[in-house]
Amino acid sequence: MAYEFTKEDLQEIETIKAKYPEVMPATLPTLWVAQRRFGHVEPEVQRLVAETLGLPEAHVHGVANFYTQYYKEKKGKHVLDVCTCLSCQLCGGYEILHHLEEKLGIKAGETTEDGTFTLNQVECLGACGYAPMLQVTNDKYVNHLTKEKADELVEKLKSGEELEYEQIKMPQHKNI
Amino acid sequence: MPEIFIDGHRYEFEGEHKVLQFIQDLGKEVPFFCYHPSMTAPANCRQCMVKAGQYMKSRETGEYEVDENGDRVIRWFPKLQTSCNLMAADGMVILTQETDEQVKRAQKDNLELILINHPLDCPICDQAGECPLQIQTYKYGPEGSRFEVKKVHKPKRVQLGPRVVLDAERCINCTRCTRFTQEISKTHQLTITSRGDKNYPTTAPGREFDDPYSLNTVDICPVGALTSADFRFKARVWEMNQTPSIDITNGKGTNIDLWTRDNLILRVTPRFNSEVNDHWMPDAGREAYKIFNENRISRPQQKLDGEKVLSSWNNAIATLGEQIEDTDNAKIVVIASPHASVEENYALSKYTNLLRLNAPVFTSHIEEGTGDGFLLSDDVAPNTNGCRLLGFKELDKSAISKEIQKAELVIILNDNLVDRSVVSADQLKDKFVAVFATNNSETAEIADLVIPITTAAEHAASYVNVDGRIQRTYRAKETKYTNRRIDLEMSEGRLDRYGTNFDNWVTEDNKIDCMPMWEIVNNLADAAGLDINFKDGREIMDEIASSVSNFSGVSFAAMDEQAGIQLSIKKETSTSK
Repeated sequence: MAYEFTKEDLQEIETIKAKYPEVMPATLPTLWVAQRRFGHVEPEVQRLVAETLGLPEAHVHGVANFYTQYYKEKKGKHVLDVCTCLSCQLCGGYEILHHLEEKLGIKAGETTEDGTFTLNQVECLGACGYAPMLQVTNDKYVNHLTKEKADELVEKLKSGEELEYEQIKMPQHKNI
Repeated sequence: MPEIFIDGHRYEFEGEHKVLQFIQDLGKEVPFFCYHPSMTAPANCRQCMVKAGQYMKSRETGEYEVDENGDRVIRWFPKLQTSCNLMAADGMVILTQETDEQVKRAQKDNLELILINHPLDCPICDQAGECPLQIQTYKYGPEGSRFEVKKVHKPKRVQLGPRVVLDAERCINCTRCTRFTQEISKTHQLTITSRGDKNYPTTAPGREFDDPYSLNTVDICPVGALTSADFRFKARVWEMNQTPSIDITNGKGTNIDLWTRDNLILRVTPRFNSEVNDHWMPDAGREAYKIFNENRISRPQQKLDGEKVLSSWNNAIATLGEQIEDTDNAKIVVIASPHASVEENYALSKYTNLLRLNAPVFTSHIEEGTGDGFLLSDDVAPNTNGCRLLGFKELDKSAISKEIQKAELVIILNDNLVDRSVVSADQLKDKFVAVFATNNSETAEIADLVIPITTAAEHAASYVNVDGRIQRTYRAKETKYTNRRIDLEMSEGRLDRYGTNFDNWVTEDNKIDCMPMWEIVNNLADAAGLDINFKDGREIMDEIASSVSNFSGVSFAAMDEQAGIQLSIKKETSTSK
């Protein structure tokens, strides 16, 4: 399948290019445009980005492969990155991961057959204070996870509902 | 003049210098992997750490500040610096691993880090023996590793392109190869993929590393990660002899090294010459080692009753002498060659001059589209300008054909005129064709007399490149009539010095039964009663220098000293792009 940018995408890329004195810095944002459009940056998409920007293919490939946030293969519509790093692990990160594995019928790193969910086990996402947590498709954090909250999240995503940013207040110290 | 203090010694310098390069130019050493003098310095291997500081100068007086003991006050930089991208400055103080324990320790620890995931497969690695990582670990590295866990595994035996094989586990990610494709060959074919301990160089997915200069990455790779698909596992470095030479497959005259073992040239690598090829050479020239080994003409051949038979040297010399004597001088055409050296061409012309034959003519060997504006020119013969400077008449294809049509005896010096379709086999049919040749070819096939001569790997002779630079080769390979042990000009390898008789140079078949052109000319002249007695290329070059004004001042010694000598050539004769 040949990938192509739409007119709007190309316009956006032009605005991105205009921001920088050279083309090379536009690689990262353009890869984002591509990932938003196609859901991934497979080698063919990397090639498209390289051609659009007039940059060497190898360079775009190197950049795309450096960052884990760019998906180098097809993923589900929603990517659930469950943190199992130290803090989350202590607070039950693995339980959440295994619960989701059971619920979705896949192992970590796999995608459901209908292509809705991809489940990943990831390292620290920098939200140790709200452990255990997961991130949805490089975007919103879901914090203080419980099995019920995870179920709820899956249903929400299935029904196509928009997620909301969770605001968590910092604990206030009274006796400072 | 600005001054810099390295390990307690004072040096003066002018202009801009990187500290590492400056130390190297002094003949001293700081270990490094990623730095390369012809490319940018990203300082990512972290091996060239030195302690750097600055003598304090008083702002008012401009004098160095002194402490109570009378020593100059040094303000050390807060951390160790990578010397490869540290610019030398006036009053700078540098301590290397020679004088500073901290630097020594930093370099040792850095090597331990680099070696964490490096496989210990030196015994089967092609780079062993010429491996900066191996050498520097030996010199500066830790005795052992404290790393006891499983090493990271990465792709092995990846055919990156037609000529380069990658072993990602050996890679230390110095990025020399990727920088080469970005800065030197400009094909941008390589990149580093992934990150952390999983990264390694690769091409874009589905793309081949088919850069026409790809094998240079193998040369500059400081470990055995990139190896040559052709040379892989053929020989260990210490078994070979390294002899300087000139690339004879192109007019650019790239400086090369020939690597010999048992009288076979096993590989060709570039040799630094800032005037010609810097550190690089095209992949095309590396194939040339086959010319020296394979398909060689050994022993003279003669056609008897339409059939090629092996002849003897005496017979061959006598036959050619008789043919020249029996043929009307006007009906003899002598074709010199841009593929032969200056000395060979000169020897032939001296012989024909003394016999009052027609002056030698030649035709250049241009292949349109070969040139790339870098290290390849359209002129694929190594010595076209040499023929011009010797004053030979340059004829084009039709003119050469006309000359041949008139002739009865055609003498061709090492030029495959039939193969490169300057003349057809039919045109040479009814004539006596005598060929001095190195390799079997269609031209040698149709010749009535084939006299084998030495290649650039077997004689010391000079070639003038497309830009008019005269450079010379050295004897790298023995013939039936030369001997490495006796010939003091031939390079000696480790096994020559320390090995037994059975270690090296044992296969007699690898020595070709051929002679340098000038020795054949000696014999021919002898038979004709002429007084020609050439000893070797060195002597002939001296004679040329004194008799041909274009070459005045040229000698082997001068060429060796100055890495070739620029001769003045007419602008229009230069075909370099």
